[in-house]
Amino acid sequence: MIEVTGLTKRYGNFTAVRDLSFAVRPGEVLGLVGPNGAGKTTTLRCLAGIIPATAGTARIANHDITADPVAAKRALAFFPDEPRLFDYLTVRQHLAFVARIYGVASHEALAQPLLEELEIADKADQLPGELSRGMKQKLAIACGLLHSPSVMFFDEPLTGLDPLGIRRMKDSILKRARAGATIVLSSHLLHLLEEVCSHVLILKQGEKIADGTLADVSARFSNGETGVGLEEIFIRATSGTAT
Amino acid sequence: MTGALLYLRLRSLQNLVLSRARRLRQPKYLVGAIVGAGYFYLVFFRHMLADPVPGSVPLRAAPVVPADLLPTINTFGALVLLVIAALCWILPDQRAGLTFSEAEIAFLFPAPLRRRTLIQYKLLSSQIGILFTALIFTLLSSRAPFLGGSALTRGIGWWFILATLNLHHLGASFVITRLMDRGVTPWRRRFAVLGLIALAAAGTLAWLWHDLRAPRLEDLADFHALGRYLQAMLTSGPLPWLLWPARFVLGPFFSTDPRSFVLALGPALAVFGAHWWWVLRSEVSFEDVSIAKSEKRAARIAAVREGNWRAARGAAKARPAPFRLGSTGRPELAFLWKNLLSTYPIFRPRVFALSALLLAGGCLWLARDPVYAVALRLMVAFALMLAAYTLFLGPQLARQDLRNDLLNTDILKTYPLRGWQVVLGELLTPVAILTALLWLMLLAAALSFPPRQAGWLTPELRLAVAAGLVPVIPLLCALQLLVPNAAALLFPAWAQSMRNRTERGIEVLGQRLIFVAGQFLVVLFALLPAALAAAAVIFLTQWLIGPAAAVGVATLAVLVILLAEIGCGLWWLGGRFERFDLSAELRP
Repeated sequence: MIEVTGLTKRYGNFTAVRDLSFAVRPGEVLGLVGPNGAGKTTTLRCLAGIIPATAGTARIANHDITADPVAAKRALAFFPDEPRLFDYLTVRQHLAFVARIYGVASHEALAQPLLEELEIADKADQLPGELSRGMKQKLAIACGLLHSPSVMFFDEPLTGLDPLGIRRMKDSILKRARAGATIVLSSHLLHLLEEVCSHVLILKQGEKIADGTLADVSARFSNGETGVGLEEIFIRATSGTAT
Repeated sequence: MTGALLYLRLRSLQNLVLSRARRLRQPKYLVGAIVGAGYFYLVFFRHMLADPVPGSVPLRAAPVVPADLLPTINTFGALVLLVIAALCWILPDQRAGLTFSEAEIAFLFPAPLRRRTLIQYKLLSSQIGILFTALIFTLLSSRAPFLGGSALTRGIGWWFILATLNLHHLGASFVITRLMDRGVTPWRRRFAVLGLIALAAAGTLAWLWHDLRAPRLEDLADFHALGRYLQAMLTSGPLPWLLWPARFVLGPFFSTDPRSFVLALGPALAVFGAHWWWVLRSEVSFEDVSIAKSEKRAARIAAVREGNWRAARGAAKARPAPFRLGSTGRPELAFLWKNLLSTYPIFRPRVFALSALLLAGGCLWLARDPVYAVALRLMVAFALMLAAYTLFLGPQLARQDLRNDLLNTDILKTYPLRGWQVVLGELLTPVAILTALLWLMLLAAALSFPPRQAGWLTPELRLAVAAGLVPVIPLLCALQLLVPNAAALLFPAWAQSMRNRTERGIEVLGQRLIFVAGQFLVVLFALLPAALAAAAVIFLTQWLIGPAAAVGVATLAVLVILLAEIGCGLWWLGGRFERFDLSAELRP
């Protein structure tokens, strides 16, 4: 469960996110969309406890990310757009390190199926420098999933993946959601959001333009037309032609 | 076309200079530039610019090498050049590849340019770097006044040396490429070159054997006699003929007056011109290797800009874990494990244990016989000197901490840990490495200390001091390391620009000096309470419980104070880490 109330992030005089409120329940996948500079990544970074919010509260799995960051972070996983890995740790050593940080007992039993699911089991003794972009992404995901998080944040999860990788990633997200995880993802790929997300939140210049289920948001911006795609809705919403 | 290439080079240079000048508007660069300029003035220019007061003793040091040794130095210089030139033929194992930037490859390779024009462009471009290096070498050699000549003649002399060597390296690489195209493997070429060198050396030695006598005692009496003997040896037989091109190149550098300089210019120019002609005529296909080199270089620069030194050094290798990391337990130890993996495998507990055993065995073996007393004293002096160096400069070199992980803070901050835990975990590896090194030096000094050095320094007191230092050393290292880590979190942009070795300039040098001086002052200030407390405890208690026990009590006081300071530092830095936002800090 994610509950966000009045979230605001300022950098000096510049407001990146303004008074943002929303909630995502277990099993839901919220797509965060908006033009470049809308505040999507800043929002995700605030929710994951990477940067402190200037104002407002965010509760992750019933823990306030500001007041009780350790408990909140124990429940979440954050997947940045560019996989950030340690160059000198092999795939297996990455998992051992993350297991110790999160206190995952007997992590080997969990790690092996995870590596096999992500199809990197045969790369277990390789360094990130020897992996392709897609493989690195998979390793970052394996590290994030090792402690079985109930809340997940994906920032542009499909960047750099091949078509098969995109398909697998979508399946993986849906599988976690069906298992009860609460998921927020940001992406410019609107067809992905249509396929994966149950809810959508449109941001523009740090402010919420609309949020709700895909059907709700479509209805709001379709002007009574039928069969209006998310791309058209996005353009209407962010260019200010909403009714 | 040449005009366009010249435009590209000159505009790039102009824009580089302008961007460097513009960034002086930022205080961090301006302050760095002032400090860097001050350093250059004090080290190089002060003596060069100072007008001697009539009648006063000149500040410059007296010549350490007499003038009659100059020809010998010249000959040795020529020998060195010859060796470098020979290495250009022996070492390479790849085809020639001129270093172009990715942009140059993208724009120039598909452009309608002749290969020779590209080579010419590269040769001209390389002159900027060569001129700069010549300037630095001129400044450095200004501290060797016995060489004679002026700064200008030495500068031009350095340029001749560096530019000719650069051309020779390039020309040799082109010939090697042609040989490889004809199926000559690197090893066959090496055998051929080494065979030629061996033949020349054998011929020269045979001549010398026939012509010259072995050195007598009077030849070794002083510098002058030795110089005369060596000069006679180096100027007889075929050696002068082998050395003459190299001597021509060195001619302008070793000129002692304007006339000899002008006379030396002609032969030097002739050698340089011959090399230039040779390189331009040696048209070989270098594009493939240049593209590969440029990609590697770009990846290296990108890695350096990201602060990833290990990737910048080349392909990393998977290494076995330093110790078994359990799934549960203190999470801080995971950072020790991770960061030990990032460093050389020599920094492992078993290596230190073995070193300690060898060191202890060696010291005890030396101590059993008074004949080795001098060796033991040298060992003490060396160990203490090395310890001081490790203690004060080690934290600048052992960077397996937040400084290396600064760009990974986004990931580190998602971990369910308090800020102080992350900071503590990150500090553990450099603390462990420096502590282990210092303990080894302490062991060497303690075991090598002469038994009857001073009456008051009893064995009990020495033991108490050594035992007291054992727990104090890791805390001293931790305290030292807190400072650069705090600097990385407080001034990340500054820390990043300093770590980036592609960043050059007087302002970056100044920044580095400020950082080192700042760290030194902060640590001295932090150590003051512990030092005062230790002094007070020893002064007050030694009359009652004896000096050795007083040292023990003082050690406890020092430990308490240092632990409190480190605790406060970790708590404060942890808070800073939790509020830290790299994207905001590095925002232009």
